Parts: sequence; C-alpha cells; structure tokens
Amino acid sequence: MRARILGVIGVAVIAVAAAGCNRQSGSAAAEYRAPRTADGKPDLNGIWQALNTANFDLRAHPARPGLSLLPAAGRSGVPGLVRATPVELPDPAVRPFGAVGGVPAGEGVVVGGEIPYQPWAAAKRDENAREWLKRDPEIKCFMPGVPRATYLPYPFQILQGTNKIVVAYEFAGATRTIHMDTVGDSPSPSWMGWSRGRWDGDTLVVESTDFNEETWFDRAGDFHSDALKVTERFTPQSPYHLTYEATIEDPKVFTRPWTIRMPLYRRVEPDKQLLEYKCVEFVEELMYGQLGVIDPATGRRP
Amino acid sequence: MKNRHLLAVAAVAAAVAAAVSAAAQQPAAGGWVQPKTPWGDPDLQGVWRYEASIPLERPAQFQGRAALTDDEVAQRQKVEDDQEASRLAGAEGKAVGRGNLDQSPIRGNEYNSFWQDHGRPRQVYKQTSLVIDPADGRIPYTPDAKKAEARAQARYGAGPYESFLDPDTGERCLTDGVTALMWQGPNGGHNRIVQSPGYVTVLHEEYLDRRVIPVDGRQPHGVRQWFGNAVGTWEGNTLVVTTTNFIDRTNYEWASIFMRPSETLRISERYTRTGASTMDYRITVEDPTTFERAWTAQIPITRLPDDTLIYEYACHEGNYAMTNLLAGGRTDAAKRGR
Repeated sequence: MRARILGVIGVAVIAVAAAGCNRQSGSAAAEYRAPRTADGKPDLNGIWQALNTANFDLRAHPARPGLSLLPAAGRSGVPGLVRATPVELPDPAVRPFGAVGGVPAGEGVVVGGEIPYQPWAAAKRDENAREWLKRDPEIKCFMPGVPRATYLPYPFQILQGTNKIVVAYEFAGATRTIHMDTVGDSPSPSWMGWSRGRWDGDTLVVESTDFNEETWFDRAGDFHSDALKVTERFTPQSPYHLTYEATIEDPKVFTRPWTIRMPLYRRVEPDKQLLEYKCVEFVEELMYGQLGVIDPATGRRP
Repeated sequence: MKNRHLLAVAAVAAAVAAAVSAAAQQPAAGGWVQPKTPWGDPDLQGVWRYEASIPLERPAQFQGRAALTDDEVAQRQKVEDDQEASRLAGAEGKAVGRGNLDQSPIRGNEYNSFWQDHGRPRQVYKQTSLVIDPADGRIPYTPDAKKAEARAQARYGAGPYESFLDPDTGERCLTDGVTALMWQGPNGGHNRIVQSPGYVTVLHEEYLDRRVIPVDGRQPHGVRQWFGNAVGTWEGNTLVVTTTNFIDRTNYEWASIFMRPSETLRISERYTRTGASTMDYRITVEDPTTFERAWTAQIPITRLPDDTLIYEYACHEGNYAMTNLLAGGRTDAAKRGR
C-alpha cells in the first residue's frame, strides 16, 4: 500500500510542477477555466487520486507505529530519572509489518481542524479507533461510502455521460452514478448513497443522501449515522489537479456541518486505466474461514 | 497528456464526420436513425436488459432448426400473455411456498426465486437457441469440460458446503463473469451503458459488475484480471469489444462453466442498436481450455424506459447466505454423523 502511494506521489509532483501550479487550492479557481466537453460542460473526465493521509485520519495526526496499538501503562516518575517510560506497541496482529505497517503523519484535511462530534459520538469514535481491527469496514472489503471513497489510496475515474456521471472507484469496484437529470428518490438506504449533481460555474456540485450507517470516514474510527448528507464540490484548478471539498451534515452525530478539503491529482501516465481491486476474495478466509472444515489452501481437512 | 490532445482532435474530427454523414444516413425500419453522442460516437446509452427466455443451447426438440414456426411463436406469445395476466391478477404467489422441497417445482432454486423479478413480460423471438454458431446451437465443450459442467450442475444448490470455496462465484458475491454479463436476465440483469469521450462504461446491477471499456485505440495493458483487458472500436454504428488477459479462475466453482475466465479465454462482442429500444448483441467466446472451437451467441436486448434506474447491489456486504450455507453444512454433517 505504501509503495503504491509513493509511486503515485512521484508522478503527481512532476505533474503539478509541470503545470507551474504549486498551490493547494483556492486562489487559482478564479483564474483557471476548465476545458469544455462537446456539450459545453466543464470537462472533469479522467483518473484522479488523493495524495494525503486522510484515510488514516481526517484530523492532523503524528506518525505512529501501527494502525492498531496496544494501550501502554501510564507514565510515572521523573522523566530522565527512571527507566524509559512505557510505549504503545503495535498490536501483535499488525506487528510483523514493521515499518510497512506504520501510519504516516498528516496535517489533516478538516477545515478548522476539529470534527464537531456530539459528546456521545466523540466517545464512540474513540471506541471505534480502539476496536479498529474489528470494526473498520475497509478491512472487510465493504463499499467505502462517501466521501471516503475519494481519498482511499486508490485511483478513481470520472466518466461524464450526457445525463449521468459515473464515478468508478478502484477499491472494491465501488461505483456511484451521479444523476445530472431529474430522478426520483432513493428506494432505500445504501452504502454509496444517492447522488444528484449540478454545475456551479466550473464546479461539479454533488449532493448525496440515503446512506446507511455502516461506512466510516477513515481508519481512525470517524463515523456517521443514516442521517448523513454529503455535499461535494469538485473544482478544477489546472489541467492536472482539482480542489475537492465535502461538507458533512449529520444532526444525529455532529453539532454542526463541517468540511474537509484537499487537492486531487490527475493520473497522467499514458493510457492509465483503473485496474481491479476485487478484494472480496481477499477477505473470505478472514470472514468465513472459521466456518469451514476444509482448508481452502489444500482442499483437505486440516 | 499528448494522448489527450490527440483524442480531442480525433473527437472533433469524428464530430465533423458524424455531422457530414448524418444527412446521408439510412434510417432503419420505422424511420429510426442511430443517435450520436455530442462528440459523435453512436449513442448506446440507457438501461438495457435481456428480456427473452431463449435457451442458451438448442433443446433436443428443436434439433435441426434455428427458428420457431409462426404457430410456435404464437403459442409462446399466448403463454407469456397469460402469465402477464395472472401476474397482474396477483396469482403468481400461489406457485411458490410449497410445503417441502420435493413438492417444489424449482428444486434447488428457491433461494434465487426470492430475488428474481419477472416484472415485465418476456419478449418472444423466433430463435430456438441463443447459440447460433456452431450450427447445432450447442456449446462445443471439450470432453473434460463436459464432465466439469455436469459436476457444476449437480453441485449447484446442493453443495457440499465445507469451505467458502464451495459455493459458486455468484454466491460468494464475486461475479458470474463477463460472458453472461449482458444477458443474465431475471436476477438484477439490468445494464446501464454510459458513454464519455473514449470510453464506454457498462454498469451491471448484479454484483455491481462494472466494465470501463476504452474505445480510443489503445492496446490491452496486459495485467490479468477477472474481467480481462477490454478494448473497443467502432465499426460504423457497431461497438466491437475484444477482451483478453483474463485471470485463471477455473479452479473456482461456477454455476455453469461456460462463464468462467481462464488465461486462454478471448471474448469478442458486437453491440449494434437496431432501433430506439432494441439491440442486437453478439458474443463470440474462444477458449481451448473449455471449448473445442469458438462459439457465438446472438442475444436480443431491450432498452428500458428512460427513467429506469439501477440500484446498489450490496451483495458481499450483506452475504448472510455464506455464513448460513456453511453453518447449515456443519449442522447437516452433524446430523448425518460425519
């Protein structure tokens, strides 16, 4: 996973440098005009990817040695006069990964820095973080939800049809159809929501509702309820990058709406395509292995 | 980026060519003219579904002939009309809910019947089989593949279920494969086609199967995948898609083995709209691992009304059936003293 991200960083750094556009967001929007499709809409077609640590934790976070840590005993004594104080060790389940399994630091993508949880929800988020290995739906290859699908460490493709925009994500083959035409309401809650889009100048604005309460926002336990509404803004900033904003509203979990913001980078490799990350078969042993009597590796009884 | 610019030039050229040729275009029967996208490609967009019930392989009773007689077509139409009438009258439910498995007319398929939606009447066509080549309308399995298919059929809905590898790929929420993607009808077989410059995307409702097919002259990337590497071209108004570089999944259980990918599988498809709501879809399947020779199926596809939507098929996320199948397998084995 880390090798993946590093490989992409190289490409994107070159792309952004080439564009002479080393700004994160904001000021370029007024100046840059996106190319147009044949029917006159801003052209966002292409393969895009986030290059940040938002999927580890939306908030600013220091580096740490593993996604799941064993809680350490509290410190005591005078620093420097006693034996080195207890440290948080990687959970044995992730320890063999060593430096590969560490979490890189990040400045955070939440505008204003804090996620305005209601008190009960802040406690649940902390509990989710402690139980990450058991609870994160990403581990089970479940559909990632919105906005998490955008900043998973996998590319996604925007495909602009004449009245539907498909957003095809590499992770788990998840897909959203953004209805640019008028459609009825969603018949039921869903993992990826029900998305309606419109153009605001060069910005694609997508309002998504009808989520279930199963998806998370990151690997740090950030979560929502079935009252979630996400308003996303995709604003082109150069041929090679756009600004992505997602405003989260969920009165059951948060005290007010809050927003994340990050650049997304175009994957500029020639003939770049989304590849399969069909992870269902990667997690079957984890999810169902204990129910079998035949070892899937040998076809025999163990 | 160079490719993008070339694409843009090509798109403009195509649009001009389309505008020039539009006037000279021959309308199909009924005055229908193939619509074009704003960038000049034939427009195949919409939700499409196979709505007939033509056997894949020709049944023995039709040996030697490829088409039904007019009388046979009329009889089938009457059956469909009667079924539609009884569906509308609410009588359909009486056919299900038998007291035990032996009484069930759909033995082994009770689970699927729960999901199946016959909400629109089936279309009646003259074809006696979807397979039109070889001439006998039968899939030319190799002798080993015939045995494998017989084994797959015997296992389907019957087990055993001793590990998660025992259910078929569909029950595992993986896929039923590319081969049957456009025409697996009743069980969520809706396909939305969305086009963007240089791409045709097919969203298949069941299993959330998705194909993003480049139609821009590129070569296959060579990374083996469940859905292989698809590349498309336009031949007039026909979308021609060739798919190679499949990953080998012949060791998995498939409900029917003609759908399984292997490294030697090669699929060629032709999508040709023949009217506002009709498409002639043809698929040629070659794979020496499974078939003696290439075979071709011709499949009539229907375009559903413009407001048709497809929905999220969260299969893996809610796959309680896998847990229940395996737990049931354990209970069953315990009862039999194994």
